[in-house]
Amino acid sequence: MSPRILGAASPFILTIFVFLFLAVALFIGLGQPPFQTLAVLVQFAVGDSYSLSQTMAKTTPILLCALAAAVPGRLGLISVGAEGQLHAGAIAGTALVLLAPVWPAPVLIPLMLIFAAIGGAIYGYIPGLLRARLDVNETIVTLLMNYVTVLLVAALVFGPWRDPASQGWPATMQFPPNAVLPALPGSRIHLGLLLGLVAALALHIYFNHSRWADKVRILAGNRKVGETFGLSFGFWVMVLMSVGGALAGLAGISEVSAIQGRLQQSISLGYGLTGFLVSWLSRHQPLIILPVSLCVGGLVAGSDALQMFAKVPAASAVILQGLLFAAALAVPGLLARWRKAQ
Amino acid sequence: MPESLVQFAGVTRRFGDLIAVNNASLDIRAGEVLAILGENGAGKSTLMKMLYGLYPASEGQILLDGAPAKISGPADAMRNGIGMVFQHFSLLPALSVRDNLLLSWPKTPFWKSHRNARTDDVLTSLAELAPQIDPERIVSSLSVGEQQLVELCKVLNINARLVILDEPTSVLTPAEATRLHGFIKQLAGRGVAVALITHKLADVEACADRIVVMRRGSVVDIAERGARSMAETVALMMGQSVDRTLRPPPAFGRTVPRLVLENVSAQRPDMSLQGISLSIAAGEIVGVAGVAGNGQALLAEAVAGVEPLTAGDILLDGVSIARHTPFEAVSTPLGYIPEQPRDNGVVATMSLARNLALRDLAQGKRATGRHANLLERFNVNPPDPAKLAGTLSGGNVQKLVIARELGIQRDAILACYPTMGLDLAAIEMVYAAMFAQAASGAAVLWISEDLDDLLAGSHRIAVMREGRLVALLDNDGTLSREAVGALMTGMTETEAAA
Repeated sequence: MSPRILGAASPFILTIFVFLFLAVALFIGLGQPPFQTLAVLVQFAVGDSYSLSQTMAKTTPILLCALAAAVPGRLGLISVGAEGQLHAGAIAGTALVLLAPVWPAPVLIPLMLIFAAIGGAIYGYIPGLLRARLDVNETIVTLLMNYVTVLLVAALVFGPWRDPASQGWPATMQFPPNAVLPALPGSRIHLGLLLGLVAALALHIYFNHSRWADKVRILAGNRKVGETFGLSFGFWVMVLMSVGGALAGLAGISEVSAIQGRLQQSISLGYGLTGFLVSWLSRHQPLIILPVSLCVGGLVAGSDALQMFAKVPAASAVILQGLLFAAALAVPGLLARWRKAQ
Repeated sequence: MPESLVQFAGVTRRFGDLIAVNNASLDIRAGEVLAILGENGAGKSTLMKMLYGLYPASEGQILLDGAPAKISGPADAMRNGIGMVFQHFSLLPALSVRDNLLLSWPKTPFWKSHRNARTDDVLTSLAELAPQIDPERIVSSLSVGEQQLVELCKVLNINARLVILDEPTSVLTPAEATRLHGFIKQLAGRGVAVALITHKLADVEACADRIVVMRRGSVVDIAERGARSMAETVALMMGQSVDRTLRPPPAFGRTVPRLVLENVSAQRPDMSLQGISLSIAAGEIVGVAGVAGNGQALLAEAVAGVEPLTAGDILLDGVSIARHTPFEAVSTPLGYIPEQPRDNGVVATMSLARNLALRDLAQGKRATGRHANLLERFNVNPPDPAKLAGTLSGGNVQKLVIARELGIQRDAILACYPTMGLDLAAIEMVYAAMFAQAASGAAVLWISEDLDDLLAGSHRIAVMREGRLVALLDNDGTLSREAVGALMTGMTETEAAA
């Protein structure tokens, strides 16, 4: 390997080592045999076809939510609203299924996806509009709006949308087969993953190789210069916030339709925030977001299984994620400082 | 001869290659008001900031009570009885006047209980200076003038022997300024030395005992008040015209109005433009003179379509090019050289080639290669199109923007301080390019602080003060720096002639 590639890759390699070190320390603290537990974690993430399918299932919403943060991030906006947009998409898509449960799949599924995307887009458009017109901070607004849809889902499944046949369980009715996203047979790898892949590639091409790529880049680099040459910052804020919202909305409906099979509480295991972190770790580059969300998806799936089958507490899955992000954020900075000191 | 409190002996201060203060010698005496007069960038503030301990002197010595001063920061300066009031205040807007005063009071007890009788002493100078200000009011609710008075009280509270005021009247209403002048005289009467940094002759006339004139970093004159006429003082402040080989632009027929400003008004929190009307013909160069901070920046951004207008319109060949609401986006057809081009003219994260092609890229067109030779033509160093604009030095960023804006023929040009930070050869090149554009029919609006250059290179000179166009003069060879300078600083022409 040439020294240059090694130099560029060293933060990544070092991040992994630091994470493994921290994870080992965690397992020792928990009183588990550290290396054995690590091996089990990897086994549960990629060890067999079932584990792989679980990893892919977790990767899908993380990928879409990461893209949802990356799109406004390209303009320098900090949107933490993927969680709320995910739930908004889930509500909008579910509404259509509850309205027209008998429509044939070729009509219902595309319409359900479109509804979910529009629901998420509207939920991203609102903070975008506030930012563009009134200069209200988009980070605060998206953060606060998250609570609204999460609680709205609870209100709906406890109230008007509760399935009478569910014997008190707060959830809508089971989605009919014609409203379930197609999946690879015998696995949980569904159409949502394909949508995420396509979106990542399309965004990569749009932001890096299209004729319009530089509009966003100019505004992100120097808003005043962009406005001097006729670019409207407000317009792009609204567009990018809406597009990001639509992607998170797709994550929401695909969780409901393909994984849970019904709208209920806790359709998201904090995917919005995880996606946000993935996006910032990847510097909003769609092609980097792909492998990073796969890694994080594997970690989530692996540690989920770990807490079920090994004797580790449930919280360790979240702790492991936290350790990964802490390592990934700290290591490049420390490395740069160390190189500077040299 | 009165005893001198502070003495500057051959003090020099450099910032990199820039000499801000050059071999300055002067003294400040107890009980006098010393006015330090000069244009922007003359080195007045830098000189006083050295005394206040903000910058060390590069060369020379500052003596306090006849011994070398050991002042390494504002805290030291305050211990030595030197206080300074800055142009930008250092009050905490969310706290009350009383709390702000307590924060900088040496005698403030470690503990603080509300309305403690012992802390009422802190209000003595406030009661004297501004009895109308209620000490329990929150600072953010005070007017700018009132804030200035509170700031002054802070300085008086340290029992200052020397009070330095940096452009104190620039934010005051005339009535407030008059009251401040009276107070300054009262202070001097008590034996406190006051150093008054200003570019306003009105301040000098109202209360100075001695007048120091600075120009381009050097002290050019020290005189008692009354020893010089105001016209002589202005001449000293502006300097004699420097001989530049600036070739005047070709003659033109002032017939076709090309760039027309109709009652242009715009508003920012700190500045407003009020009804500026100006018509520039094809081939005409109109220079805008004014002391920095009198609305030139806002005028430039309004004409460039960055700042929305609150009233009026801007027409290029009869077509409006102004931004009327914050929600519309206008691509300026002007060749526009903004001030501080690193902040306002380039995208630092993009390459030189892309920065040259910004107009195309912003419209969703692909960058073409036709811009490459501009880098060589305008001497941008290094002429590497793949280099990021953020890596260039200040002067080269300026040249990059000029290459983009003047590299092709324009209908009209808006140039703000286009030669700022450039060396002589580059300045000649910029003027040559600008005048060539005018010769081919471009209307040029040229904002500059360099009166010599404006007088040598423009057909008419517009003078701006406090957001208004106060004069529009034909530059027919009879205009003097003094006359324009007087208009810039707010004297009437008769006062200047007196």
